[in-house]
Amino acid sequence: MTPFPLEARLFEALRDGDWPSPAQAWSLEQAGLTAPALVELFESQVLSRQLDLHARRLQARGEAFYTIGSSGHEGNAAIAAAFRVTDPALLHYRDAAFLLQRSKQLPGQTPAYDMLLSFAASSEDPISGGRHKVLGSKALNVPPQTSTIASHTPKAVGMAHSFGLWRRLGEQGGEWPNDSVTICSFGDASFNHSTTQGALNAAAWAAYQGAPMPLVMVCEDNGIGISTPTPGGWIEQSMRARPEIHYLSCDGLDLLDTYRTAREAERLARRLKQPVFLHMHCVRLMGHAGSDAQQAYLTPQQIKAFDARDPLLYSAGLLMRHGVLDAEAIRALYEHIGQRVAEVAEVAIRQPKLDSAEAVMAPIVPPSRPARRQPAESKVDETPATMARLLNQSLYRLMAEYPHLVMAGQDVGRKGGVYGVTQRLQARYGAYRVIDTLLDEQSILGLGIGLAQNGFVPIVEIQFLAYLHNAEDQLRGEAATLSFFSKGQYTNPMVIRIAGLGYQKGFGGHFHNDNAIAVLRDIPGILVACPSNAADAVGLMQEAVRLADEEQRVVVMLEPIALYHSRDLIEEGDRRWSFSDPGPEHRLPVGVPGQWGEGRDLAIVTYGNGVYLSHQARERLEAKGIALRIIDLRWLTALDHDAIQRRVADCAQVLCVDECRRSGSVSEEVITGLVERGVESHRLHRLTAEDSFIPLGPAATATLPSVAAIVERAEGLVPRQIASKRTATESRT
Amino acid sequence: MSEMTQPKERLLIVCPGRGTYNQAEWGSLTRHAAGSEWLSRFDALRREQNQPTLSELDGETPFRLSVHGRGDHASPLIYACALADALAIDRERYEICAVTGNSMGWYIALALSGALAQDDAFTLINTMGHLMQTSLIGGQLLYPWVDDQWRPQPERRRELLALIETLHGQEGSELYLSIELGGMLVFGGNEAGLKRLTEELPPMERFPMRLHQHAAFHTPMQESVKAEARTRLPATPFGAPEVPLIDGRGKLWTPWSTDPEALWDYTLGEQLVTPYDFTAALRVSLREFVPDRVVIPGPGATLGGAVAQALIQLGWWGLDSKAAFQAMQQSDPRLISMGIEEQREWLLA
Repeated sequence: MTPFPLEARLFEALRDGDWPSPAQAWSLEQAGLTAPALVELFESQVLSRQLDLHARRLQARGEAFYTIGSSGHEGNAAIAAAFRVTDPALLHYRDAAFLLQRSKQLPGQTPAYDMLLSFAASSEDPISGGRHKVLGSKALNVPPQTSTIASHTPKAVGMAHSFGLWRRLGEQGGEWPNDSVTICSFGDASFNHSTTQGALNAAAWAAYQGAPMPLVMVCEDNGIGISTPTPGGWIEQSMRARPEIHYLSCDGLDLLDTYRTAREAERLARRLKQPVFLHMHCVRLMGHAGSDAQQAYLTPQQIKAFDARDPLLYSAGLLMRHGVLDAEAIRALYEHIGQRVAEVAEVAIRQPKLDSAEAVMAPIVPPSRPARRQPAESKVDETPATMARLLNQSLYRLMAEYPHLVMAGQDVGRKGGVYGVTQRLQARYGAYRVIDTLLDEQSILGLGIGLAQNGFVPIVEIQFLAYLHNAEDQLRGEAATLSFFSKGQYTNPMVIRIAGLGYQKGFGGHFHNDNAIAVLRDIPGILVACPSNAADAVGLMQEAVRLADEEQRVVVMLEPIALYHSRDLIEEGDRRWSFSDPGPEHRLPVGVPGQWGEGRDLAIVTYGNGVYLSHQARERLEAKGIALRIIDLRWLTALDHDAIQRRVADCAQVLCVDECRRSGSVSEEVITGLVERGVESHRLHRLTAEDSFIPLGPAATATLPSVAAIVERAEGLVPRQIASKRTATESRT
Repeated sequence: MSEMTQPKERLLIVCPGRGTYNQAEWGSLTRHAAGSEWLSRFDALRREQNQPTLSELDGETPFRLSVHGRGDHASPLIYACALADALAIDRERYEICAVTGNSMGWYIALALSGALAQDDAFTLINTMGHLMQTSLIGGQLLYPWVDDQWRPQPERRRELLALIETLHGQEGSELYLSIELGGMLVFGGNEAGLKRLTEELPPMERFPMRLHQHAAFHTPMQESVKAEARTRLPATPFGAPEVPLIDGRGKLWTPWSTDPEALWDYTLGEQLVTPYDFTAALRVSLREFVPDRVVIPGPGATLGGAVAQALIQLGWWGLDSKAAFQAMQQSDPRLISMGIEEQREWLLA
């Protein structure tokens, strides 16, 4: 095999004894390493490098599909060595050496084979099953991360918070020991991402209040983000004086300095349970990825200067200087590992690949697990009440039934939620189970994901639907993908309560009445429920928690704000939209719609506020002799189109009333599903919101379906139907 | 010219444990190693200890299980046979890419990988064989969890492990997992425990099979042997292996990063009192070194089945059944037992 330029430089140094010296000159003893341990770290570095190089060779042969490598970052092997194998580590994509080193802490691992399987996208890859080249391992407590920039940092904060929470519950109930430390790594470019900044802020915010936060955020600073240099000293200046976060810096080219500093980071995080920012200086070698021609934006001198800072040169120099290995042994080690990688690769690339959509999609829905619900004594108050009230009763009950259920969100505790849905919960179950969070939706969702990954059933609240959008990637890129990218080995089941949709009286404007839900509906695996009345809200909430607890699903509960406090249907005081608590066993399964009435002139298919409006319209329509039924979808994803078709099949006309926008809303799918099942298009109609934002004041509902519009539309459809019936009857006589 | 450039075949050496030297193997050491310098040294070391020499046991003393099957005789005999085989492999055609072993075979693996010098390994093996024989704490029992085609039945395995968990502690029973042996589990326990277990297990062909003159190796019952061994062999000069070595947990010991103290500590520590995971050792050896062939040196061919079962578990070389394994052995034998003379011949110069 022709040596890569980096290898040629290493061989040259081995020949000439020309080794760079690190800035520090620690002895092995000062660093806390034995000679064999130093060699072991070097072996991890070399294996990481050889895997990088071979990925490129394999890609050239069309046998590998990912070349973002770890070259230049291999010093993170020394960070791995400073932590326990049971400390969960969320690693970014340049941390192969970390994973390889960690594999040595648990005998029986096959890291070279596994990594090559992942390069080759083989279905045998033990972590993702060929779905992505990720760094991960169930046995090594490395949940796989995506390449979405720094989107894993909020959940690292959540995970770090989970250990103290388990201690507070007096249990060891999670995936990881309660004295664990969470490690989370990212690069100097992603340090600038708002997600990272938010996570750092959330960690500091929690620590500032004395909450345990055993978290080590490792910033691997190679000085460049693809082609954009990180300004010299920027990371350090940003972090050195940050309140509540310990700042430590190490030379990632020097294994001794890195190990020594990482041990201190580990000590601070584990003993003091405080967040640590570990700033590892390193270098990026061979460009951003195999496809990145770095000569386009770097001068040859710059590239040469990078290459001269190859951590392998520094490590080899250390081994020589400390008399651990001689040049001949280093070369033999390097070549032996290279040879082994090449040989293992030839077997790995022949292993099976994913070969069907079904195989690819298998882990989108995670595996089930035993229920943890416990019987709880509770007297059901059957006084008809509002949705907010019954949701509150249901949540109160659920927190008793599921001791591992934790609630979190802005204002959910002391205030009891903006609309009172979580009232009394904090007073009853404590501030550690009903958490008032900071105002940052990414951190709220990250907290939920982190808690869920460590065995809790979180219910997190997004105060208003419009606030979801800045944090939506936490669901899309993180929560929804974890099972997929880990073959169901890691999961983050939870319920996300989102108050939203239009029609609020007296509290207008787009941001409190947002009706854009398309962003939730196209995420594979996520379920969205939307109740139209208090009794259904209980049934859906109880099912959502069961789904999270037993089926490990991520469930969004979209709660129509305008219905929270609706008591009456037609007239003030008629109490026709108040409902009795259906009790703890009432659960409404996914895909099963509700139905009101049996009329056959018209079926109104709708959800949420649409159900309420349709009931109001029904009064008027029935008065005019139109027999109708109302189908309440209840679930806005995983629609059972056959069930919907059966419910409307015997109706002359079908009107889909959709309070969300015409473009991208659930009615598009409902109509499509019916057409696909042979329902003639002249029987199918839609009444939707306009493609608009929601205005303030009297015009707040101007763009939304109204009772009048439903009535008008229905009358327009049914007379035609009646008229045509009449014509048919007349022609027969 | 073409012969010169032919790449060497890469062999994984899998060293056998106890129970492989039987009537049929008697005489094989003499056939393969008579006159060798190392065997004379071993014989001399045995004489110093007032033990019958290996040459005598293999060449003069008629085979009796009660004699040759004793730990203090069987262990060094098996080591010597394995050593003779390993030394006979044609290094022009074959390269040893990694070494592992099963149970007592771990000590042999230390020798064949170069982590221990031949004589030091002999002293270790002879001492441990003697300690095991004189203390003989508990025994071992073998039971399969694969079907007749050697395909894994994980549910059966779980049931077996649950069974020993249940029986352990009942009426003075002590029972532990001793070895993960491909498609079989070896249990270690005291008499009461093994008796109860035998009663509970449905008979299947030869199973449950008691392993005579074996102690409850790799279980906490060997704590006293461990203490004694650490006292007797404090200065055994372990070194780094010359070729990668995989232990009974599947841990890889490399020629460069091996800490001799840690190797000593494992060999005379954890290894003696915790389950030996031969399946993990094979998994790591195969996946991380992808040998062209697997070679079992030493007497007999009894370890071959366990290796084949592990291959089937891993789907290695595309194997999914005993029939597929046998077909592969017919067309291109990739598992070579040097205890079978014909197969041994293939590897010789």
